[in-house]
Amino acid sequence: MHTRIRPRPPLAVAVLIAALALSAGCAAGPVATAPAKPRAIKAVPGCGAGSWTDPADLSPGRAPARCAKGTPAPAPLGKRRTLTVATGTLSAEYVAPLRLALAKGEFRKEGLDVRLKVLPTPDALPLLAKGDVDVLWAAPEAAVVNGVNGGFDIRWVAGNFSPGPKSRSGLWVRLKNGQDPSSVPLKGATLGTMIGKGSVIMYPMDRAFAAHGAALDSVTFQQLGSADVLTALTGGGVDSAWLLDPVWRQVDGNKQYAFLGGQPQGEPLGGALYGPNLLQQDPDAGVAFLRAYLRTVNTYFAGDYKADRSFVAELAGLLKVDPKILASVPPLRMDWEIRKGTTDRLQRAYRDAGVTKGAPLPEAKLVDRDLYAEAVGHRP
Amino acid sequence: MTTALDKDGPAADRLLVRRPGPQELRPERAHRRRRTLELTLAVAVPVLLVLVWQLAAARSWIDARVYPAPSTILADGWHRALAGELWPDVRATLQRVLAGYAAGTVSGYLLGLLMGSLSLVRAALEPLLDALYVVPKLALLPIFLNMFGLGEGPQVALVAATVFFFVWISTMAAVLAVPAGHRDAGRVFGASRWQMFRHVLLPASLPAVLVGARIAAGVAVLVIVASEQIAAADGLGHLIFDSRALFQNDVMFVGIVCVAVLGVLFSELVRLAGRFLTPWAPRDRGRTQN
Repeated sequence: MHTRIRPRPPLAVAVLIAALALSAGCAAGPVATAPAKPRAIKAVPGCGAGSWTDPADLSPGRAPARCAKGTPAPAPLGKRRTLTVATGTLSAEYVAPLRLALAKGEFRKEGLDVRLKVLPTPDALPLLAKGDVDVLWAAPEAAVVNGVNGGFDIRWVAGNFSPGPKSRSGLWVRLKNGQDPSSVPLKGATLGTMIGKGSVIMYPMDRAFAAHGAALDSVTFQQLGSADVLTALTGGGVDSAWLLDPVWRQVDGNKQYAFLGGQPQGEPLGGALYGPNLLQQDPDAGVAFLRAYLRTVNTYFAGDYKADRSFVAELAGLLKVDPKILASVPPLRMDWEIRKGTTDRLQRAYRDAGVTKGAPLPEAKLVDRDLYAEAVGHRP
Repeated sequence: MTTALDKDGPAADRLLVRRPGPQELRPERAHRRRRTLELTLAVAVPVLLVLVWQLAAARSWIDARVYPAPSTILADGWHRALAGELWPDVRATLQRVLAGYAAGTVSGYLLGLLMGSLSLVRAALEPLLDALYVVPKLALLPIFLNMFGLGEGPQVALVAATVFFFVWISTMAAVLAVPAGHRDAGRVFGASRWQMFRHVLLPASLPAVLVGARIAAGVAVLVIVASEQIAAADGLGHLIFDSRALFQNDVMFVGIVCVAVLGVLFSELVRLAGRFLTPWAPRDRGRTQN
């Protein structure tokens, strides 16, 4: 039997396409989110006046907010809750409070089962917005600003750290022909960094370059792996480099290189980001998570936590890093508070770097201090 | 219609008679219809998928913030193209692909020819090249970075290395597959080495070489996009992964669409060049030839 050719699909396909096109034209509107109810804030024993500092205080020497050791005390949730926390790394020092809280059972005391997932921020962000991830331990990067601008319900709810006064993690430059570090021209320089243009580091970088007569758009960024940044700087591949802990130790004290500036002291640029799960659906769990984190900071990271060798060894084991390397860099100043205007300054730097568009978002769209205020019993 | 005629009982041979169909009666018309059908399907299937995607985004079946609607991608791409923001990345990727492709094709062809023709050269180099062939080419990027520094060198070298192996293997195999009778005929006519190459080996091997070159064209685009993610400050790969890191999903999809278009165009260009250079070779599309 032979087959007759019936070339009739164009009509059927055209009808189907037209129907789909018409349906596609009728867009569904965005889902509105109900505003959260104001929450009752009770005084917390152990958390006095020192548990809150004025967000507008930007002085580098500001003592970070602290409660007494072991406080705020656990307030277990009525029903156990499992939280998924995404973090880009498990071995960085700024993740130490999180990992120690987990190891010491601080989250369990709050009725929380915390699961850590290693995920880069770009991968974790949509999951946070969808509710598949509860907490993102990262920073209000340009991706977060773009996400919030695009309609995602994400807030920066707690800080992590600012560098200690002795830290030299930041912008390093190779000096040419006896250049004076204070007047190194950086216009048109090449910069090696393992961090992209959308990182919060753009803000201190913007400041450091501005102090040396260069705008960010005049700098050529060369994104490199962590091991290659130092090699590129010392080998002449780049003029300057953003060196992280403990890499900067390799050039510290060498007169061929100069440190031009790092993250501002007293101003955390990262920490905990919450999505709709903990902001809208279960703020009790959101407060409980922060309470455990704050208690860990107050108990173990209140001051120079690296003075205690056994604690450094414990941390090194937890983070799976060499204790000598951990001890070789100054301690971080753990700080859960978010400074006023940080997101404005970050957004300015992002715009200068060309990684965000549109009008800057107001701080209230990006920051929520209410959860840690509740954890320490601070009434606005 | 086909009819079975029972001539001498059930055990005897059965004769099948097939009446001529439209393909035999009106071959030109049947061919035109077939072409129309193929063209309709080629256009309608992608259009249908795009419309389903558009509908899903518009109806919130998918999160349009994560998977932007095609109309958003198109609008963003158009805007970026008009503003001149897209072309530097397209140009950078294209330059790297073309430079690497040219270097890889020429070197792969010459070595394939040499190894296909001279058994001693083949014995000396084949194990080494076979070992290198299986190394993922992206794994060579750190070595190329050390060798060529931070400029265009590593990207071009990576594309060249990728293309080289495809062209080398297909050339060597094609030369080895030239029937001995063809070579004998050349020798009988007293062909010199050049004449043997020009009139026997080249025409016999070129179709297979061009198939390898066409596959390599697609893989070259694939490799450059992955490489630009790691060590480049521009290019479509950089655009895709940079916008992903910045949560600019519409820009990311613009980059993906550009890569797809670039890959198709480049591959088609190589195919057309192949048809032009080897008119004697069978057409490499699996379509019905009437």
